[in-house]
Amino acid sequence: MIGFEAIAHHNGWAAAATGACIVFAGLATLSLIISQLHKFIALLDRPPKSKVEVMADDKPQAPPQPQCPLNLDLTVSRFEPLIDELDPEFDLADLYVLAKKYHLPHPHLSIRCLLDSGALQPLGDGIFRFAKPEADQQ
Amino acid sequence: MDLFLQFLGNTGFGLADYRNLIMIVVGIFFVFLAISKNYEPLLLLPIGFGVILGNIPFFKGFGIGIYEANSVLHYLYFGVTSGLYPSIVFLGLGAMTDFSFLLANPKLMLLGAAAQMGIFFTYLCALALGFSPQEASSIGIIGGADGPTSIFLTAKLAPHLIGPVAIAAYSYMALIPIIQPPIMKLLTSKKERLIRMPDLRQVSRKELIIFPVVGLILCTFLAPASIPLLGPFFFGNLMKESGVVDRLANTARNAIIDTATIFLGLTVGASTQGDVFLNPKSVGIFLLGAVAFSIATASGLLFAKFMNLFLKEKINPLLGAAGVSAVPGSAREVHLMGQKADPTNFLLMHAMACNASGVIGSAICAGILWSFLMG
Repeated sequence: MIGFEAIAHHNGWAAAATGACIVFAGLATLSLIISQLHKFIALLDRPPKSKVEVMADDKPQAPPQPQCPLNLDLTVSRFEPLIDELDPEFDLADLYVLAKKYHLPHPHLSIRCLLDSGALQPLGDGIFRFAKPEADQQ
Repeated sequence: MDLFLQFLGNTGFGLADYRNLIMIVVGIFFVFLAISKNYEPLLLLPIGFGVILGNIPFFKGFGIGIYEANSVLHYLYFGVTSGLYPSIVFLGLGAMTDFSFLLANPKLMLLGAAAQMGIFFTYLCALALGFSPQEASSIGIIGGADGPTSIFLTAKLAPHLIGPVAIAAYSYMALIPIIQPPIMKLLTSKKERLIRMPDLRQVSRKELIIFPVVGLILCTFLAPASIPLLGPFFFGNLMKESGVVDRLANTARNAIIDTATIFLGLTVGASTQGDVFLNPKSVGIFLLGAVAFSIATASGLLFAKFMNLFLKEKINPLLGAAGVSAVPGSAREVHLMGQKADPTNFLLMHAMACNASGVIGSAICAGILWSFLMG
């Protein structure tokens, strides 16, 4: 059997048409998918929205004041052992070095506080003497 | 003297048949084409030598020939008849293929689909000439211009035709520089050949990694019978693109595919024993193979022109000719033809996209035809 008759006998027209349609549909679908692939990936790669930090509507708070220098008794009690290590008349720089050595908080402010309160009395030429205050001067 | 004459009668000289001699000449011609003309040497050299090897006359019954059980060649030939070699070749092919051009311009995939029309047209022609549907499918798949796919489908549907189909498929692949250019010139105008393709966008690594997985799932869900080809193909590609198994990908695209190609070519060539190969059917297969190849080229070109009717940004219709899966031969011809019209027009990358699509398309076609006719 040959010719169109053979094609029809073996169901050739339907097989060829179906096969061609399947190949075309398959590759067209794949083409469509890969044409959208980069958009899909871009969507996944989008960096997460950064959370906007909502600032509290409270009044701005003043920075906390260092407590230690304002509390003269505490400051004195902390610095007294250091001063005991020094001569009765000492260089202020030596006191500062000691304060740093023992990790006392706010050495500058504390020494200033002691100066203002009169606990450290100047003798001239950078030399001071400790005079323990008698009462709180907060 | 009798002993000498008896010995002489058992040598190749005494057993020689004119058909063996014809095939040996054909084999030598293939080797000549491969070495002198550099026509697909990776394929034609092993096939040509295999043709010579397979047509050395021998005393049958000693387990020497490829069709004799327990012969070494017979064992090697098992890789062809079982479809093993084509699958391995596809693994290596996947590890070589760069899909970035296709991903950058997905509409070119349609050209790969259009070029497969040659398969179905030739299927009908073969039926009309009196071939059985299984034989017609094996002949039609030559239009896919994909040697391993042709061998795979023929091994499954019409194993007795492996020799002629494989020789026809590889011959026409080697003859691409002769077959395709006249069809391209005939079906395109100079103005069309001058069309420039847009620059391709950069394709991300993620796209390249996702594609083989998506491609495998979609194609094999559509035509499960194409799993033996497309499974290794996309796996090879995933190895390449993942970048985490470079050693495996390298082996797949070098040592493995080379080994399979050597044994595939040699045994397919050796299967063309003159007494089995030289018959009217083989001549018919060769003629129909030429039709399949030409129709595949033409349908790709014509479909590209058809697409241009609707596209704002026209595509160069020459790319349609690269829709056949002869990688990279047809892409190279398209590029050269484009450069003849305009030396500054570079179509190679775009043509490779069509080629890659053609490989997938022809494997799907093989799966479809196999599923139509299995059992």
